[in-house]
Order: sequence, then C-alpha cells, then structure tokens
Amino acid sequence: MRLWTQVVARADSGPVAVEHVCAAAMSVAGVDASAVAVVLSASPRETVYASDRVASELEELTLTLGEGPGVDALADGPALVADLTAAEHVTRWPVFAPAAAQAGARAMFALPLRIGAIRLGVLDLYRAEPGGLDPDQLADTLALADTVGALLLDEAERSRAHPATPWPEHAGSQPAVVHQATGMIIVQLGVTAAVALTRLRAHAYVHDRRLREVAADVVARRLRFGPEPTGDGSGG
Amino acid sequence: MKDVSEIAQARLADVFVEMADTLVDDFDVIEFLHVLAGRCVELLGVSAAGLLLTDQKGALQVVAASSERTRLLELFQLQTDEGPCLDCFRTGQPVSVTDLPSAGRWPQFTGAAADVGFAAVYALPMRLRDEIIGALNLFHIDPGPVPEDTLRVGQALADVATIGLLQQRAIHRRNILTEQLQTALNSRILIEQAKGVLAERHRLDLDDAFTLLRRGARSRNRRLSELARAIVDGTEQLPSTMDGPAG
Repeated sequence: MRLWTQVVARADSGPVAVEHVCAAAMSVAGVDASAVAVVLSASPRETVYASDRVASELEELTLTLGEGPGVDALADGPALVADLTAAEHVTRWPVFAPAAAQAGARAMFALPLRIGAIRLGVLDLYRAEPGGLDPDQLADTLALADTVGALLLDEAERSRAHPATPWPEHAGSQPAVVHQATGMIIVQLGVTAAVALTRLRAHAYVHDRRLREVAADVVARRLRFGPEPTGDGSGG
Repeated sequence: MKDVSEIAQARLADVFVEMADTLVDDFDVIEFLHVLAGRCVELLGVSAAGLLLTDQKGALQVVAASSERTRLLELFQLQTDEGPCLDCFRTGQPVSVTDLPSAGRWPQFTGAAADVGFAAVYALPMRLRDEIIGALNLFHIDPGPVPEDTLRVGQALADVATIGLLQQRAIHRRNILTEQLQTALNSRILIEQAKGVLAERHRLDLDDAFTLLRRGARSRNRRLSELARAIVDGTEQLPSTMDGPAG
C-alpha cells in the first residue's frame, strides 16, 4: 500500500496511468529516466512511454540495434546492469552498451512485464551514474513493474469499450485458477494467451464480477468463451 | 511419519545424490522442486508435500507439490492468508501441529485441511542466512508427533530446495535470489496456463493435464517450463490421449 500511495499521489486524483507508475518507480529505484516498451500488440516493439529525451533515445537505440538489456529481459528475466561500461556488459552488448553510456546512461535496469507465457513488454530504468539497486529497491520496482503490466492489459481492454478501472488488479499475483482459465480460453477462442487473458478480464469488468470468480466458472466449465465444441473439440 | 531409522540410509543418500546431480545441469526449477516434493513424501512417509515461495510483495505462492490435485494446491495456497506455512514464514521457525482440530488455530485452514483428509501439518522454513524465502509444507492424514530426526531430514530437503532455487550461482548476491524467485513464480504461472490449454484441448481435468504435460516433457527430454511455453504459444502440441507412450 505504501507504493500505491506514491502512485496515487502522482495521479493527482485522476486515473492511474503508466507515467504515474513510472514516476514512482524512478523515485524508489533512484534513477533518472524510465521508459515502457510494449511487444504485445507491436512488432518488434513500440515505446509507449518515455520520461525524457534520454529515455526515448535509448529505447530507439534498443529497437534499432535489437540488442541490450531491454531485449534480453524479455527472454531471460530482469537484466540489472550496475555499470554499462563494465567489460562483461560491453562484451554482451558490444554496440548498445557503449552507445547507451555515450547517451547518458551508466546504469540500466530492464524489468520484463510478463504473466507466464504472456510477454507484455519491458520497463526500462536508466541512471546517469553507475550503481546497482539494493534489495528493497528491486522488490519495490518489481511490484511496480507488475502494475505497469496490469495497466497495459487494461489498455488492451479499453479498445473493447468499457470504462477505465480506478485501480488495476495485480496481474502477476492472481490465483492459479486465473492462469488455468487463460489457458482454456486460448483453446476455446483460438487466440493468444494475451488475448485470452484480456477477454477474461473484460468479461469480469463488464459483469462486475471478480476476476477469480469468473476464472473459477471457466475452469469448472460453467462458463465458455466462444462456440461449443463440436465432435472431438478440435475446432476453434 | 516415518522414524528416521526406518528411512533406508541408502535411499536417503540416493535422493541427495539425485538432487545434487540435477543441480549440475541447466535444469528446470519447477521440475526440480516437483521431484523434491515427491521425494519428501517417499522419504518422510508423509501424505503430501508442497513448496511455497515468497513473491516480491511478501506473499506466499505455491510453486510445486507432490501431487497436482487441485484441492491440495488450494490448501497450500490458502496459507497466503492464514496457516502453519505463513506462521513459519513469518517467524522463520518450524511449525508442527500434530492434531489440527485440537490445536484450535487457523479455523479456515483447519476446516479446509479436514475436507481433504489431513490431520497433522508441518512447516519447515526455507532459509538463506537471515532471510526466509519460503517454506516446505508437509501434510499427514494421521495425527501424531513426528520424530525429531525425521524433521531434520525434512529440513535438509528444504535446504536442498533453497540451493536449487539459487542454481548454485552467486549466492552472496541477494538480487540474484529475487530474480530467481521471480523466474520460478513466473514458470509456475506458465505451467498453470499450459494445464488450462491441455485441459480444454483434451477434455481433461487439471490434474491429468499436469500429468500429460510432465510426461510429455520427460518423453521428449524437454524442460517442463519450456514445453509449457511452447504449448501456450501454440508452437507445439501433445498427443491427445493420456495413454500414449509413457515416459
């Protein structure tokens, strides 16, 4: 709740948006710039938020080069780089690392926004001075990254015309039944995991029910998305 | 629960060698913890075992269990709110409850445990120096105390689970641990998604869906979470019956 208070304060009684969560993340992590790139609906990636010119330049660089912590985080999990000029990092990202340092980032923390197999995007944090995150900073930043993920999902739903939620449900902390229902809807609708989860959440919002309750109905086969299975159920 | 003297020493040694062997390669952490939970049941003579880890918000999440029975998993997960595991996690001390109803604690949890048929419960901390990262949870159908030595073997298995999570890498770096925990928890989500896909595609219940997934991973010599991802992404499918070639 301490983190929420920070985020809400930044939203200034308006709806919470990615920029507010990023501002809170920059504050708790003690960094100078941040950006969010999505891969969910964009290929290869699209920057949906950058706190300043440095952040947007560095996102551009990641996209252009196709390398860097922001790329690796999507595949391998958090990429925490205390000093981009350290030899091991220059070896790993021979073009990106020196270019990022040149552009004004000595430390970079790339946190994947993911829910199981669903890759939503990356939260990138940049610091002008070298130095790592302490354990508390990392834990807080990961929790905020989770919130950014939930907001990106809300964004995907908003195109399905329903009011913005005042507060995003934490995507990563949902009970197992939500993830199981996501898997079932993948097959029922023949869609990706991201779309399946979006549809599940949209259903909960529209019917004003808790996500876990709707998910439990899906898993108990009381609620189906899409057509009834025909024959061997291979259709769909 | 077994007395430690009943645990064949050779078998005990085998299990620790098996676990150590697993840790050498690029292994799948969920598969590793699942096997470990199974070995707890076998060695300690308990009815069920589960491993819960803390997420970055300080809540406990189930990552592996000796059986994927849905009601058992729910019983483990219930302890996010109350139960021996939560107490163990908060205090860092083992919790032994030889007879749940007469203990008179955790009313909701006790009722749920009775529904599944468990009378005794034990929770052993997963500890890395000063830090508690989760708990090993053991259930038994019969009430009664556990020999001290048996719990010591249980604690040794909990320690092996902790080492497994760290994948022998840079244990001194606290942030590595946070990353590993996050990866393990995300792998667990991935497996739940894959269970859903398989349950729907093959008209199975979720327990059988896990069995199918695990068998598929074994017979193809694939990492569990890797195969789970391929199934969720739709790049790979498993044969449609449970009675395919066994791994």
